[in-house]
Amino acid sequence: MSEMWINMGPQHPMTHGLWNLRVRIDGELILDADPEMGYLHRGIEKISEDRHYNEVVTLMDRCCYVAGLAWEHLYVLASEKALHITPPERAEYIRMMCDEFQRIGSHIMWYAAFVQDIGLMSPFLYGMRDRDLVLDLFQSFSGARMTYEYMRVGGVRSDLPPTFTGQARKVLDWLEPRFREYDQLCLGSAIFHKRCDNLGVLKANDCVTHGITGPMLRSAGVKRDLRKDRPYARYDAVDFDVAVADGADVTGRYLVRMEEMRQSVRILRQVVDWLEAHPGPVMADQLPRWLGAPYAPVGREGYLLKRNYAKGVGFSSVEEPHGEAQAYVVNEGTEHPYRVKFRSPVFANLAAVRQYLVGYRVADIPPILGSVDVCVGEVDR
Amino acid sequence: MGQATLYSVSYWISNLIATAIGSILPAGARAAITSSDVVTGFAVLIFAVIILAASMLNTILLIWWERKLLGRFMDRRGAMHVGYAGLLQNFADGFKLFRKNTVKPREADPLGFYLGPTSYMVTSLAICGILPISSGWDTGALPLTLLLALAIFSFAPLFIFISAWSSNNKYSLMGGMRSAAQMIAYEVPLLLAVVAVVIVAGSFDLNTIVYEQQNYWFWGPLFVALLVFVAAMLAEMERIPFDLPEAEAELVEGWNTEYGGMLFAFFMLSDYLRALVGSILVVLLFLGGWTLPTWVPGAATSFPLAGIFWFMLKTYLVFGLFVWIRASLPRVRTDQLLRVGWNRMIPLSLLSVFLAALLVTAKCLPVFGCVPSPGI
Amino acid sequence: MQPDELSRVLTPKLGENLIGVEPFDGMAGRVRFRREGALELFRIVRDELTFTHLSMVGGIDWVDHREVFYVVWSDSIRQYALLSTDVPAADAHLESATPVWPSANWHERETWELVDVTFDHHPDLRHLLTPDGYVFHPLLRSFKLHEPEELEVKSRHV
Repeated sequence: MSEMWINMGPQHPMTHGLWNLRVRIDGELILDADPEMGYLHRGIEKISEDRHYNEVVTLMDRCCYVAGLAWEHLYVLASEKALHITPPERAEYIRMMCDEFQRIGSHIMWYAAFVQDIGLMSPFLYGMRDRDLVLDLFQSFSGARMTYEYMRVGGVRSDLPPTFTGQARKVLDWLEPRFREYDQLCLGSAIFHKRCDNLGVLKANDCVTHGITGPMLRSAGVKRDLRKDRPYARYDAVDFDVAVADGADVTGRYLVRMEEMRQSVRILRQVVDWLEAHPGPVMADQLPRWLGAPYAPVGREGYLLKRNYAKGVGFSSVEEPHGEAQAYVVNEGTEHPYRVKFRSPVFANLAAVRQYLVGYRVADIPPILGSVDVCVGEVDR
Repeated sequence: MGQATLYSVSYWISNLIATAIGSILPAGARAAITSSDVVTGFAVLIFAVIILAASMLNTILLIWWERKLLGRFMDRRGAMHVGYAGLLQNFADGFKLFRKNTVKPREADPLGFYLGPTSYMVTSLAICGILPISSGWDTGALPLTLLLALAIFSFAPLFIFISAWSSNNKYSLMGGMRSAAQMIAYEVPLLLAVVAVVIVAGSFDLNTIVYEQQNYWFWGPLFVALLVFVAAMLAEMERIPFDLPEAEAELVEGWNTEYGGMLFAFFMLSDYLRALVGSILVVLLFLGGWTLPTWVPGAATSFPLAGIFWFMLKTYLVFGLFVWIRASLPRVRTDQLLRVGWNRMIPLSLLSVFLAALLVTAKCLPVFGCVPSPGI
Repeated sequence: MQPDELSRVLTPKLGENLIGVEPFDGMAGRVRFRREGALELFRIVRDELTFTHLSMVGGIDWVDHREVFYVVWSDSIRQYALLSTDVPAADAHLESATPVWPSANWHERETWELVDVTFDHHPDLRHLLTPDGYVFHPLLRSFKLHEPEELEVKSRHV
């Protein structure tokens, strides 16, 4: 058969998101790959320039809809640095708790979609069933299962309900044996290994030069985790290990994400204990007055409002479930940020798709792309 | 009470209908209607209709069984609302597909597009007409029913390929080629495993094969053949772990991407018809058909339609095993599948043929508690 | 690494292309450079200072000039560094960093299409997030969100 370009997408059940993967194939062999993004570009960065600092938080939920709280945390950290505000300790622990539960939720979602793509139908539903427990926890303190809008510049919107720590412990006790079940179904299956071993290999050197971060990088043996290397939000006060594998293949990424879930449970137990033992304020008390007024008017005189608050630039970098996400917030002394720029981990991971997709077969695309954990909302913003 | 065969039942019905119609007609027409030729012809028609109805009903029930069992494996309940326990769900789905527009892509070849699924359906139904369900369910004393059934069964790759190619769609073409390759490759171990059974039973006639199993079922001595047959049948039925051709994850729907409405219903029904046929073949060849072991008390085998009941029970249990496999294994890639087929399945099936030959030569081993059967 | 150490390494190599190194948020430093010394700075930063990971390239429109900033990370010293340069709005072009860091590819495509900074010798400078043939550069200050835009967008594959 002659070579042809195939469009996988933008409507495709496997690509998990609105993007187009064009592959040039010769029979079953992949010769080239060219992803087309932009179908989900909503102009989040541009809209943010028109919004009050706290109003941008709603946009961050939609940036990566599977890991909304992590992106809210990212933005709020950068804004706090730009506005010279320090959140209270309890707020930082709550944010850590949100991050880690979000990591578990995102990884379970990844697991469910990944195994569904390689043909295992049952663990998809087991994963969804377990993820529902995590989403119920989110609903208990933020009121929503996906678009939380929970964090604010200076802290979080409200404190946790009193039953939260008991519920959280129950969920954690339920989840730990479930991870063992997931492993039995996958690692214990010879077909899984035949499908996933030595697939999508991207060695450590290539990962670093192409800007790959997160579980993909750690599966290649590079021990970089921003929670340890550049701790934010009290990650230096909790005890955990960094999950690393050495295969640099799909199975390696699977192992890394499973281990990350276990470490998240470990972190969460410590955080939940701390939260129970240390009540306190969840919002900074030295907030500028204008930050408490979300509906500041846009002046008729033009784009920049004539205010004159202290200027600043904030940069934050978090270990989001997909990898390293960064935010750069420029504050020009008005109630709206002058520029917000986000770096999405999946953006960089997908940019290098030619490196780990070429040379394999078309039937290998679901496992490989599944192991990359694509979430298009954050790529396109 | 004498054994009522399917043909005698349909003859009786035909006679009833002919007499009923004849009673309102004048004498000359009445004689014509109730003449033995017309009644016989009518009986054959009714016979075919009964078989058709039974196979279609069984297929739909099989789909229900799969949905419920698969649901339970996935910690959910399957279809619940339409009919009691969702029994009418598939009728509702079938009705929905029935009333849909059939859309043909403009560039698709009309002959292949329409004939492909139709022929696929027709051949799958034709097999159902040959297989015996119990001792009375006879379609005539054909000496080679098994061979005929397997021959018609292996038409499928041709029609799948025709449907895929005439869809004018790159995805369908790829899926069709994968599917045809998979099916053709797994015909060989399938047939070799069947050869093992034929060697032990001494005949290609399914009735004889079941009769030979009245003392011991073949799954004991021919266990290797059973394993090879089940695995090859899974590949033929395109179920997980061998369903890459229709893996929705990459090719949307594989070789039937372009089909909607009734043509899609044909594909789906044919898929489950072939699953039914596969399970029936497993039961007939290895699990003793409609017979039970001799130590079972007579009351279990002597109620009316007992043969059909036990046969259906075994078929649905075998299909339950297929559903269990579907719920728990990932998909195998096509080239890995073909490699396993050529490198592992064929030697295993040859081994099973060898063992069957040994069995027959040694007039069977006492450890399986068998008595040398009269036919060999 | 502290900003003065960074400055000590870079000043002799870059001379007047280096405007200054200032502290920024616990990073190794914020390096302001002139665009003429771009490639040389990138090579020194990657090879001698071991900042092998380029994680973000972004553009900011300051109306009369545009700022392009690069965020790099070093695994050996576990620190970020921020490199930033200004290009005049009338002549907004800059040398591409892709020969030094291949990960700059898509970041520079996005910066060009959103903030209109052309990257010279970029292997593949085309639209990434906006449609092909889109003539606007949305994140410029002159592009007003509340005004309608009229354009005719061709489909990607005819």
